[in-house]
Amino acid sequence: MGIPTLLLFIGVGMLAGSEGIGGINFNDAGLAQSIGIVSLLFILFSGGLDTNWKESKVVSLPAFTLATVGVLATALLIAVAVMLIFNTSFLWGLLIGSIISSTDAAAVFAVLRIGNISLKGRLKPLLELESGSNDPMAVFLTISTIELLLNPEKTFLSQTLFFVQQIGLGALIGLLGGKAMVFLINRLNFSYEGIYPVFSLSLAIIVYSLTAVTGGSGFLAIYIAGLVLGNSQIIQRRTLLRFFDGLAVLSQIAMFLTLGLLIFPSNLINVWGYGLLLAGILIFVARPIGVFLSLIPFKFKFKELVFVSWVGLRGAVPIVLATFPLIYGIKNSDLIFNLVFFIVITSSLLQGWSLNLTAKLLGLAEPFVPKKKTQIEFSNETQIDTEIFEVIVNENSGMCGKQIVDLDFPKDSRIILIVRNDQNIIPAGNTIIEPGDLLSILMNKQNRDAIHDILALTQ
Amino acid sequence: MKLSDLLNEKNVIADMSGKDKNEAINELIDLFVDDPKVNDIEKVRKAVFDREKIISTGVGKGFAVPHGKTDAVQEVICAFGRSKEPIDYQALDQRPVHLVFLLVGKENLVSLHIKLLSRISRLMTRDEFRKKLMNANTVKEIIEIFKTEEETYFELL
Repeated sequence: MGIPTLLLFIGVGMLAGSEGIGGINFNDAGLAQSIGIVSLLFILFSGGLDTNWKESKVVSLPAFTLATVGVLATALLIAVAVMLIFNTSFLWGLLIGSIISSTDAAAVFAVLRIGNISLKGRLKPLLELESGSNDPMAVFLTISTIELLLNPEKTFLSQTLFFVQQIGLGALIGLLGGKAMVFLINRLNFSYEGIYPVFSLSLAIIVYSLTAVTGGSGFLAIYIAGLVLGNSQIIQRRTLLRFFDGLAVLSQIAMFLTLGLLIFPSNLINVWGYGLLLAGILIFVARPIGVFLSLIPFKFKFKELVFVSWVGLRGAVPIVLATFPLIYGIKNSDLIFNLVFFIVITSSLLQGWSLNLTAKLLGLAEPFVPKKKTQIEFSNETQIDTEIFEVIVNENSGMCGKQIVDLDFPKDSRIILIVRNDQNIIPAGNTIIEPGDLLSILMNKQNRDAIHDILALTQ
Repeated sequence: MKLSDLLNEKNVIADMSGKDKNEAINELIDLFVDDPKVNDIEKVRKAVFDREKIISTGVGKGFAVPHGKTDAVQEVICAFGRSKEPIDYQALDQRPVHLVFLLVGKENLVSLHIKLLSRISRLMTRDEFRKKLMNANTVKEIIEIFKTEEETYFELL
């Protein structure tokens, strides 16, 4: 089916709420916001950890443009639409525009995985990187707009400077924080393995708080710290990735449940007309213009641009952001919250449902290949100083007829597999090398010369 | 699937023009420039030459098996080239190379990649087989020689 899980848990939250069968009366926007922000931190950190920088590097510039110019364009277009439709101030419109300006790639990939398809070319890393880095932008825009609304003496110029400070400090502290985490995790020797995830968790929170206190964007910092950590060589890597994966899922569920509890479904019915109209403008006008505007310099194919426009699924971030006006007491903040909620659900339903079909229609889908368990489960990227390679043994190779033990292999390098006449042989010291053998060799790169000499020996 | 199933008239060259190792490898890789199975030909090139840096795949007796693994191919690709003229391949036995078999596998299909390599190894290390390849007159004949030789061998997949 492919509806984002978001809707499922929001539905459960609604059912448990005062208008559902649960009858829990929850209307504490402040608490909901705190839960939302903490959850968001973990989701962003885990997203950074999972992002393969090697793969994403090539799309970092378009993704960054999409996350800044694209988000800004979307927000401004929605602002104008809201201003015209509701006949209100531009700023009030900009507030709604900012709140719904960021996308949720986790939802996109969850839906694609259900349909067993993957995306061709640069699309996957592009969308992943965009959605990881556009949340800080949306948060910044929302808070800035609220400040402008509350303090009319502030100017757009001062907010622009504020933006530079937020992004600059956020990126810097995130980068340094990530490096510090790598250093600490690799240096400190904990006797108990379970400490590592907890330790990293507390470090991540420190990175966020430190950035927030100094006036940077904590969301950007924690995402970048995750990115640095996930793409460095760290001990206990697997444990950490699994822990934060689980934590991110748990955070999402907690966040959606809370938000589901917070909304009163009857209020959604009141805004359906305007909600549908704005959702339509967002999906068919604002997002496509934002995407085309940001990506035109980067030579994407037309159909790729169409697809990126269509996968502007909105996720939990807008709903969390919609609690900000409630707390700051912005005029008509109830309306904003309900509208945003309605738009997010519409976008998730419409785009979520049609995602697989769209990818296939545009010819951008390819079968999803799960990572296969291979004979040797070992990847070169995770262990920089070792390498696995294959070598063919010819008749006149000096290795023929010798026992492995007599080859004088360096201590930390091994022949890990011999394939002979389609049979796999696990080598032992007394195994004799024969002509036609294929050897799989695990080598410490420091031993390259020594091994080269052994293999290059001819009779 | 057998190794010979991967060979066809598009990826077999009877008279290569490459005179040295780089030219020969590039000549075979360039056969796949417009192949839909290849996402990024430059990554393929890099994977093959990276492997070559560890130790020459010119394993002696006049044949070479340049190979590599990369995610830039959608499935395994291979090519075979013969050169009547000697190719300076910096082989392990310092002798020139006449037969070049290129194999590029997918990063996450290590098992198949190794099976295919071992099949190449098994075939190419036989003196008589190499002689037959050298004496073949056409591309068709070369493919036929691979097929016949492999007839009694197991399917690899």
